[in-house]
Amino acid sequence: MASVAASIPIATPFALPSSSVPEDDGQRGLFRTAWDFSFRMVLRYIKNSYKDDPFRTFLEVCLIAFIIWYMTKQKYNIGNNEIQLSEKEIDELVDEWKPEPLVPELTEFERETLDKAVLLDGPNGIKVRLATGNGKPILNFASYNFLGFIDNPDFGAHAIETLRKYGVGSCGPPGFYGTLDVHMELEKQLAAFVGHSSAILYSQAFTTVLSVIPCFSKRGDIIVADEAVSFPIQQAISLARSKVYWYKHNDMADLERVLKDVNMQLADRRGKNALPRKFIVTEGLFQNTGNISPLKDLVELKHRYKFRIILDESLSFGVLGKRGAGLTDHFNVSPHEVDLLLGALSYAIGSSGGFCCADKDLVEHQRLSGLGYCFSASMPGILAVAASDAIQALEANPDNYLLSMRENTALLQTLLKRIPGLQVECSSESPLMHVRLTPETLVRMKRSGGAWTKTDIDRVLTELVEEAQKDGVLLTRAMYVDEHERLLPNSSIRICVSCAHTRKDIEKCAHAVKSAVNRVTSKKR
Amino acid sequence: MGKGQRAAQAYKSTEFVEQVRDEDGLVVSAADPFKEAPLSSSSLLQDGDKRRSNTSAEAEARTPARAERKHELEAVPSLILVTTYLSFLMLIVFAHLRDFFGKLFYPHNYVQLRVQNGLAPMVSDFESLWTRRLYGRIRDCFNRPITGVAGGHVRLLERVSRDFNATFEFTGRVRGVLNLASYNYLGFAQSDGPCADAVEAAMQGSGVAQASVRAEAGRTRLLVETEELVARFVGAEAALLVSMGYATNALNIPALVGRGSLIISDELNHSSLVAGARLSGATIRVFRHNNTKDLEAVLRRSIAQGQARTHRPWRKILVVVEGLYSMEGEFCRLPEILALRRQYGFYLFVDEAHSVGALGPRGRGICDHFGVDPRDVDVLMGTFTKSFGAAGGYIAGSRALVDFLRLHSHSAVYAEAMAVPVLAQVSSSMRMIMGEDREHALEGQQRLDQLAINARYFSTRLAAMGFMTMGDEGSPVVPLLLFSPAKIPAFSRECLKRNIAVVVVSYPATPIITGRVRFCISASHTREDLDYALAQISEIGDLLLLKFHKSVTEEDGTKKEQ
Repeated sequence: MASVAASIPIATPFALPSSSVPEDDGQRGLFRTAWDFSFRMVLRYIKNSYKDDPFRTFLEVCLIAFIIWYMTKQKYNIGNNEIQLSEKEIDELVDEWKPEPLVPELTEFERETLDKAVLLDGPNGIKVRLATGNGKPILNFASYNFLGFIDNPDFGAHAIETLRKYGVGSCGPPGFYGTLDVHMELEKQLAAFVGHSSAILYSQAFTTVLSVIPCFSKRGDIIVADEAVSFPIQQAISLARSKVYWYKHNDMADLERVLKDVNMQLADRRGKNALPRKFIVTEGLFQNTGNISPLKDLVELKHRYKFRIILDESLSFGVLGKRGAGLTDHFNVSPHEVDLLLGALSYAIGSSGGFCCADKDLVEHQRLSGLGYCFSASMPGILAVAASDAIQALEANPDNYLLSMRENTALLQTLLKRIPGLQVECSSESPLMHVRLTPETLVRMKRSGGAWTKTDIDRVLTELVEEAQKDGVLLTRAMYVDEHERLLPNSSIRICVSCAHTRKDIEKCAHAVKSAVNRVTSKKR
Repeated sequence: MGKGQRAAQAYKSTEFVEQVRDEDGLVVSAADPFKEAPLSSSSLLQDGDKRRSNTSAEAEARTPARAERKHELEAVPSLILVTTYLSFLMLIVFAHLRDFFGKLFYPHNYVQLRVQNGLAPMVSDFESLWTRRLYGRIRDCFNRPITGVAGGHVRLLERVSRDFNATFEFTGRVRGVLNLASYNYLGFAQSDGPCADAVEAAMQGSGVAQASVRAEAGRTRLLVETEELVARFVGAEAALLVSMGYATNALNIPALVGRGSLIISDELNHSSLVAGARLSGATIRVFRHNNTKDLEAVLRRSIAQGQARTHRPWRKILVVVEGLYSMEGEFCRLPEILALRRQYGFYLFVDEAHSVGALGPRGRGICDHFGVDPRDVDVLMGTFTKSFGAAGGYIAGSRALVDFLRLHSHSAVYAEAMAVPVLAQVSSSMRMIMGEDREHALEGQQRLDQLAINARYFSTRLAAMGFMTMGDEGSPVVPLLLFSPAKIPAFSRECLKRNIAVVVVSYPATPIITGRVRFCISASHTREDLDYALAQISEIGDLLLLKFHKSVTEEDGTKKEQ
């Protein structure tokens, strides 16, 4: 049928004028004669061609009939399976339609969570004051303040100086007079610190990921992602509309299997389509598990199977590596091996926003196509300067921050692992830990038998957090939007260690957790 | 109401209004439509209730006029349309030719567009054609770096390009230019004054950033108080703050609707709304820009047919519109949409990114402008980047909605909480607009009035000069149509030569034909600033043949449509 349709254009030019003659009747004689002439020409042509080749005329007539049939058929097909309804019927349907409420009602537990949410008074540093508490500061193990930059007094003065020069908001996207000199300086500083060619700033960490991945990975491209990636990456992947394959968390053998599979499938259809872009998407330090990606293996696989790497260093930036420059620093891999290196300034760096390091071309491409960059206001100057100060401080004296953070991490991990009934998930280098009650403890706790629902576990963890708070330690349950997570991580308490914690603080934290676990597990349910 | 009256009394006595009136008398002739401006600004001086009824009456009276203005584009001389299309055709043909010969003779420059050792190009040939060949020619008009505050005047870092915009060098000089580009509607982009003082005090007390998310340990007293203030400001029960404007839409819409629901979106909605709608997984349908008839048709069809294939009824229908369309300067037709809402029972999401703080006699946004109850709008969204000189955005609505979002919105659970200086800036500027800042009780209202007067003055004068402007009356965003792709950079460069910073936009931000320059008027512009700008723009208009309406008056152009 396709070959017949291709020949339509040849046949139609001769047939169409004949039908349009009566409508296009010109008033002026000249036109009329011209049309008559051409009409006669067409008639003569049809006669002649019939005489020479009647079969061809038959074919042409068939073709025209086919076109008419095809077009009318399509007209009915528009709107897929729409039902023809009268206006009255539509009115009735409109009257009958009752939408669900805009938002569902909160469950009892959600209501409790909301009512009991901690309210801080003053800075969100190592020691925080609860607005509801007795005014005594308590130790903060809930905020991502790994390097203690949040309460670094030196930065405060500089921030105020910046305020007096730049105000707060930039009042425009970077494209429209929203690019400040401090933004450009921070971009340069970031690129130099990470060791990549070029960097671009976004004004929120979540949106960085959400913009960069869809900017390069389009419909028809291929993403192979770790199944434990954090929620921003999951959202970015869904926005990219690429074909997604998931591999088991940090399992390089499984990744290799998937990569092989993908390449095999591509080899089958090679030639039909252009080669798609292929990406491995993973996190440096996993927010949901506290594990670290084996970058060396990833780079090797990337080269072997011709993939590119998109690495989200949101949590690893400033935390891992000798200089604190992230996963590439940790494994001593050239940052250029990572094609798109994303990072956040809102975690260890203690500011706000995120960045993407890549080759110059790719960064420039984002300035027009990175939606979160192009369509939103740039980061306030104060926050850019705060980030810049923090990186400068880290660069000047990395050991000052990283060594004590690692000591604290090691200490807390050992202490927590000693607590009976508790299970700690994270790699040994990670200052971010997920703490859970072991399944055996949970089984022991349930006297009445029956299974634990997620809400039950969450409730126990919330109690644990509250108990620890009584002992002067602020912890938090790791929060997720349960219904939107692809694979909802098991409920846990997320503990973040900072370099600014003292040995005593760490011991106090471990002790508070221990006694909280004792108190919670001994309760009958 | 007593408080408002007192403020109005005191305000009346300031010489500010008098001065404006004097100037109006001087500047504008009796037949000039600008006569309206002092009239409506004087309505501000009346009692609150009266003011409200006045504005809604005004709004009703204005509706048909706006309907006429909408089709202004039709009045474009066909010669301009043809030449614009031809210019684009020319540009694209040349772009392809340059690429063709470039690839032939300088293949090493095009390496990144080819498959290299088994890797597909990151940016495909066709995708990047626009960037490389068309945007590249006018790159100097965008991303111009500045230093200092983007206030009424801005300090531009001068840069030159010696390789046709491939790279830029900074000359080290700084140029002070008049800023008609930043969204600084109420002039709160300041590094001194009461707001900056409040920010400084807040930073001294609470540091800079939060290092946590709102749902975990990022909920501070300052944040909660600011949320309550925002809710009070927009007239909603509660509000949720988000640390970035784009994210406010992209990360909150998915919490509201999902599979089985329908989003009906204005075709010119902002990219963040589109991203949010896509992420939500809901079905998306589009209606023609600001066309309530089309919206109704889409609604009727959608409700009657139900979901695709299964014909199940929709779980929810969310209509998403913007209060003020920033590229068009047009208001959404809120009263008509609310009438439809009563009839069809959908939920309404209004993005007030540009309108909050800038519109309405009390600066409360589009609801205030039309005099409708903000509680009739289910979801009020807005940003603080524009009128408040801060950053981030909010979602406001019923307490049930906001409580739900506090636990289920992606921004509250996964994105960093709003930074301290931003919160302080929002609350201090908002207090000032509300007249709650004792020491500066009148300043907020003065800024609002100044903005309204400036905006009307500027757009009316532009139209009177014969330029083809877009947008509704009173909009602080005044787009001026340039059409031809060559005039787009030319206008920007000519303005810069005359020390004016403007924003020019073209395809893909606008329809291909209607390239435009967009002026953002601010309360911090003085009459001299505006007069200077108008004189220069007039000159440029003569130079670039932009005064399309010179022979045809505006009425003629619009009457044809009715």
